[in-house]
Amino acid sequence: MSGTDHDHHHAHAETASAGRPGYYDMMETAVRELLVEKKLIGPDEIRRQIEVLDSRSPALGAKVVARAWVDPDFRARLLAHGRSACEQEFGITFYDDTDLIVLENTEKVHNLIVCTLCSCYPRPVLGLPPDWYKLKPYRARAVSEPRAVLAEFGTILPDDVEVRVSDSTAMIRYLVLPMRPKGTEHYSEEQLAALVTRDTMIGVVPARIESARTPS
Amino acid sequence: MTQTENLVKRLPNDIGGLPAEPILQTDHAMEPWEKRCHALADVLDFHKIVNTEEKRCGVEALGSDMVGKLTYYERWIVAFANILFRKGILTPTEFALKMKEVEARWPDDKTHDRT
Repeated sequence: MSGTDHDHHHAHAETASAGRPGYYDMMETAVRELLVEKKLIGPDEIRRQIEVLDSRSPALGAKVVARAWVDPDFRARLLAHGRSACEQEFGITFYDDTDLIVLENTEKVHNLIVCTLCSCYPRPVLGLPPDWYKLKPYRARAVSEPRAVLAEFGTILPDDVEVRVSDSTAMIRYLVLPMRPKGTEHYSEEQLAALVTRDTMIGVVPARIESARTPS
Repeated sequence: MTQTENLVKRLPNDIGGLPAEPILQTDHAMEPWEKRCHALADVLDFHKIVNTEEKRCGVEALGSDMVGKLTYYERWIVAFANILFRKGILTPTEFALKMKEVEARWPDDKTHDRT
């Protein structure tokens, strides 16, 4: 490849990302700058909070779940006081000051979380929710026909398994502790964490050996 | 139940239990401004300027037409502006002037779709 082509490629990329922002993008800038000018928020606070948001992802929740699978004492603490167990054992800060209730799936009980009113979600441990969690079909139907909703995610539960749906609020968030898959008795904690996906902690799918992520 | 009774009993956000379409497992990578908007929401909450429930109510107060047509973070930023006006923290005039100033930073009018 010639040097000219290379330069051209870079110039093009730079132009594409520097276009005029949209109306709502500019509205965010206007609101933020006015609040900074009035000294109601600090000039670097938004940037810093973006970095906090970027530091949270399902991989964090997966570590919590894997620890609960291998350490019965931790599991008991997690189920008793979800937030303080995450804070003390993993140093996870609950920047939004929400409480966390961890719901354990068993052979007889399957938990599912939703926010019917909006999009409340255990962000400190899972990061931001997927779009479908915030949209009407999931919010409307999860509470009235959870088995049909689960089936759309490929999860078919036996009739004798009780389905419990927990509706999140501004102050109280839920996290599902999925069942540890059979055949993982010899797995390390890290290998177990790789089986725990976002959707298993929302409760729409079970943790499976086949769904293992490549350990990072 | 009459049509208007239903409107009174269910505000726009209160959709739990209603019939709805099948779930499409959609997601999108957040745009930079959407992430800034989310961070702004958190920071407004930290400083007790606008809390989560006020934000939710602010979105609901946009009315079903706007709630239906704006995207998730578009609703949030419009709700924030309205809440800040209502609380007297910002005035509509200073906001309008600031918008003009921000818009003027990008003189290229080609993508400027507002009149």
